[in-house]
Amino acid sequence: MGTAFRRRRDGSYSATLHPAEIDLLSSLVGQLLELLADGEPQATGPTDPLEHVLDLASSEPPSDPVLQRLFPDAYVDDDGSAGDFRRYTERGLRDVKQRNALVVLGALEQAEPARRDPESRHVVHVEAADAEAWMRALTDLRLALGTRLGLEQDVEPDWVDDADEPRRYVLGVYEWLGWLQDTLVHAVTR
Amino acid sequence: MTTAAPVELDEPDVDEAVAPQSPWITIVWNDPINLMSYVTYVFTSYFGYSKAKAEKLMLDVHHKGKAVVSAGSREEMERDVEAMHGYGLWATLQRTDD
Repeated sequence: MGTAFRRRRDGSYSATLHPAEIDLLSSLVGQLLELLADGEPQATGPTDPLEHVLDLASSEPPSDPVLQRLFPDAYVDDDGSAGDFRRYTERGLRDVKQRNALVVLGALEQAEPARRDPESRHVVHVEAADAEAWMRALTDLRLALGTRLGLEQDVEPDWVDDADEPRRYVLGVYEWLGWLQDTLVHAVTR
Repeated sequence: MTTAAPVELDEPDVDEAVAPQSPWITIVWNDPINLMSYVTYVFTSYFGYSKAKAEKLMLDVHHKGKAVVSAGSREEMERDVEAMHGYGLWATLQRTDD
């Protein structure tokens, strides 16, 4: 496991992650970008084992529950107004979410081996101005995974103790993302 | 909560700091995914609310299922809802007399 995000003396933030964690996060952000690009399933190479397990880019809008959660209706009982709102805002919201994701990818690509234990620890550096983009992108990833997992408030999934249940791995990733995001929020707000 | 439509819309408790004459309100709904720390951050960062007020609103969302986070014109509330969606929060707007 890496270490949490911390605020540095110059006001930026850094976390120390295992290279496998960086690869995992990069893969997830890549899948989020595909989902945001047009909402259509993308042809992806067979080389990424996470692609199949996490299944982020596999449904079509507007029926895809992940896209419904990322771009919810703004009006509860007014489909006309909700449609107008969507027409005027969704493109811009998609662009912002894509930009946030690209900020994360950029920082992950520039992660550097830590001075101590450079084999298994890489430092991810987040400029102060990019911290919010990180928080938003981590939120979007958690919304995507949590929605795919069908998580409900205060209810543990009934498959959580099933050793053969592949979703347990995704749940672990989801919880790790929450941990990472929480440390960044606290580093920013403390 | 992402799969279930909100089933009831009773009269929301409008926070006393929100102008009573405002005809439209923005509601943030509880969801099982967003972190409490992050929701509080969003309310301080976007609305400029104090940490105390942001935490109270966050706890209202968490415990009561929703909270009115702002009030104003329809255009202003659409702006706020769009911003909340940008942050990944589940928000809607409505008239106060609905």
